[in-house]
Amino acid sequence: MVNSTPGVPHPRRRHMRRRVLGAALALGLASLLAACSGQAIPGAESVGPGTPVDGGTLRVGFVGGGAADTLDGAIATNLGDTARAVNMYNALLYRDDDFALKPMLATSVDPNTDATVWTAHLRTDVKFSDGTPMTSRDVVASIERIVDPDDPKNGAAGLGHLTEVVAIDDFTVEFRLSQPDSALDDSLGQYTMTIVPEDFDPTAPVGTGPFRLQSFTPGQSTVLERNPFYWGDDVPFLDAIELLNFNDTDALINALLSSQVDAVAQIPAALAEVIDSDARMQILNSETGMWLPFTMRTDVAPFDDERVRQAFRLVVDREQMVEQVLSGYGTIGNDMFASFDPAYPNFPQRTQNIEEAKRLLAEAGYPDGLIVELATAPIQAGTVEAAQVFAEQAAEAGITVKINRMDLTTYWGDYLEYPFSQSFWYTRNFLPQANSGAMPDSPFNETHWTDAEFVDLVVQARGETDEAARSELIEAAQATMYERGGLIIWGFANQLDAYQSYVGGLEPNATGIPLSGFQLQRVWIGEVS
Amino acid sequence: MILRLIARRLAISVAILIVVSMVIFFITLLLPGDPAQAILGQQATPERIAAVHEQMNLNEPAWKRYLLWLGGLFVGDFGISAATSQPVAALIGERVGASLFLMIAAAIISIPVGILVGIWSALRRGRTTDTAITGIALVLAALPEFVVGIALVALFATTVFPILPAVTMQPPGTQVWDFPTQLILPVLVLVLVVTPYIVRMMRATMLEVLDSGYVEMARLKGVPERRVIMRHALPHAIGPVAQVIAIQLAWMAGGVVVVEFLFRYPGLGQALIEAVNYRDVMVVVAITMIVAAIYVVVNLLADIVGILANPKLHTRGGN
Repeated sequence: MVNSTPGVPHPRRRHMRRRVLGAALALGLASLLAACSGQAIPGAESVGPGTPVDGGTLRVGFVGGGAADTLDGAIATNLGDTARAVNMYNALLYRDDDFALKPMLATSVDPNTDATVWTAHLRTDVKFSDGTPMTSRDVVASIERIVDPDDPKNGAAGLGHLTEVVAIDDFTVEFRLSQPDSALDDSLGQYTMTIVPEDFDPTAPVGTGPFRLQSFTPGQSTVLERNPFYWGDDVPFLDAIELLNFNDTDALINALLSSQVDAVAQIPAALAEVIDSDARMQILNSETGMWLPFTMRTDVAPFDDERVRQAFRLVVDREQMVEQVLSGYGTIGNDMFASFDPAYPNFPQRTQNIEEAKRLLAEAGYPDGLIVELATAPIQAGTVEAAQVFAEQAAEAGITVKINRMDLTTYWGDYLEYPFSQSFWYTRNFLPQANSGAMPDSPFNETHWTDAEFVDLVVQARGETDEAARSELIEAAQATMYERGGLIIWGFANQLDAYQSYVGGLEPNATGIPLSGFQLQRVWIGEVS
Repeated sequence: MILRLIARRLAISVAILIVVSMVIFFITLLLPGDPAQAILGQQATPERIAAVHEQMNLNEPAWKRYLLWLGGLFVGDFGISAATSQPVAALIGERVGASLFLMIAAAIISIPVGILVGIWSALRRGRTTDTAITGIALVLAALPEFVVGIALVALFATTVFPILPAVTMQPPGTQVWDFPTQLILPVLVLVLVVTPYIVRMMRATMLEVLDSGYVEMARLKGVPERRVIMRHALPHAIGPVAQVIAIQLAWMAGGVVVVEFLFRYPGLGQALIEAVNYRDVMVVVAITMIVAAIYVVVNLLADIVGILANPKLHTRGGN
């Protein structure tokens, strides 16, 4: 369940680049200032990446992937697929480090008054990695490829209401919808909404991203080289990126410690402190909106009783969860999703209350407690640990949690069927999140939640283009989930990555995609000390 | 006589392989979870699952798929991988080479070293060096390969002396042997795990032979010690040791899975783990068959060495 954000000009970065271009003057001036003030120049110490330099190959390691790895960014599934998607392709919009939606291949994407028609104005200077210019025909073909009913891609789930994509002129595209959607731009900004040429062939992939394919061995490694036709102001510093698949964390960390890789994506929270204490390494700690909920099916016993769901939410010690499961690298949750949405409401924080939980359970007909089975699997770092901590906390209220731990394949086989299980979601705003996982017709409605009031509010919000009015509707919808929903959202996990100190340009990124949202065009390899 | 014995061993081997193939094929089918679901993960939609099922012949009954696959084997067709839609043979071809390279490198080092150290230890029976060698061999033999592997990585790659690579990494299109330093640790782990058994077996059989009547007789006759060992003792000791070496080599075909996992070595073991995760039955069966075939062939060779080295069989089947 992945989310948006590829790479485009970064204001701070563009600024920095200009500074570098005027290198002699800038450096001279900086050292003069430093001499005057007696202060060190930030980033110019002997240890560390220093100022951006051109060239080199960045070796990036990550766990995951295999023979089914893909070069088609529109069907990206694992971390390697994501890294390839973000660096080889672009979407019309993207999420920046602060999770704000920013223009990328489009200069603007705007709705009409009732949000049934959206118009995208494209940049006129974009070229594909084979040198051909991008036009609206390519955009139309790309979207049609994604929603192709015979072979739908990842993004199709968010575009079920799209009736037509029309090229108005060479650089204008219209999206016509069968029902209002005030958040279509969010769907179009997912990184899997890749814009590719009309005659796209995934075996010889051509995109508009900062890098293009040099070589690819599924499950082993991918080499991407700088795209000479890249349209962005933030041309990559690196000559190439090597993406390396690992099958377990130990080998990954060993590769980092023996300097065989320059950066690794997604490390277990428990290892962060150890790696950070090594002077050669840095930890990239990004606060994100990623959550690992417990999902209670609201249509089967015992969770079809609102009081049982409330009781389960009240047994959770959220601070302890964040401390033990995430080693403190996270923030506590309040049973509502989309913490980065501007409309995320500030309701009273729910805290552990065993007495109240017991009372609710007794009222629901379980005075002597109850036994439930919790389906879990290592679907994301921390899920199995969370299951164990939850089982301990729930025991205090007389709830016996039997943990049914499965391997990944077995787990996904019956995903959506378990009465009580776990899931994970990356950072999303409220409407896209509700569309994907909380509405009766959502493809991933894990809690089988069909609350009439909630549905009504979400439908209204979808058609509301006025931001303030929409925020009010979202807050009301969140209130229904906070009161009677089926999700236990105990916290939001930080994204933790590790890299060698000589790597520069990695910034915390809220999307939940590792290593600055994999925007590796911003990265450089500094002096190796 | 000898030929008939060998032919019988050969026939048994083929029968074993067929049984193994059936067992593996049907056990893999028993794994919970669906291959299409495994490949598509959380992104699976009913349409995409249906398409993958169609591609993989998953709608056919299991026995029919088994027979189709067995028939294919005889014409060198290992079937189609579910995860990649590519022929299995192409997928694992390069990996077979990489794994065999690792095993052969380990065997070339550990067999002579094991035999020599074993003999040397036997000849120095009861002295400090013998006791030390026996002790070290005992400890090493007791350690699982991943413990040895992790210890070596900590010692030579990450923590104590960071001088060797911790994992295998090679750019696409190159071979593992293009980067010899990356091979040192994986080969060393296999050597350290295999050699102690050879040493202990060689020492034990050597001692037995040295204590036997004919060695004593040869010594009494005044045959030089060097000649006693080379001509009289060693040939008699080699038969039982060949059996142990065979078991060790066969073990390596399986133990290499752990070593490959630990060192990110792009061999059969890694492919097997991945294929099990994807429920990619064709690849699992193909790799298991290769490992089983290595077992069978190595044991067959050991049997043949045993038969040839057995003096009783020689005299009885003289012509």
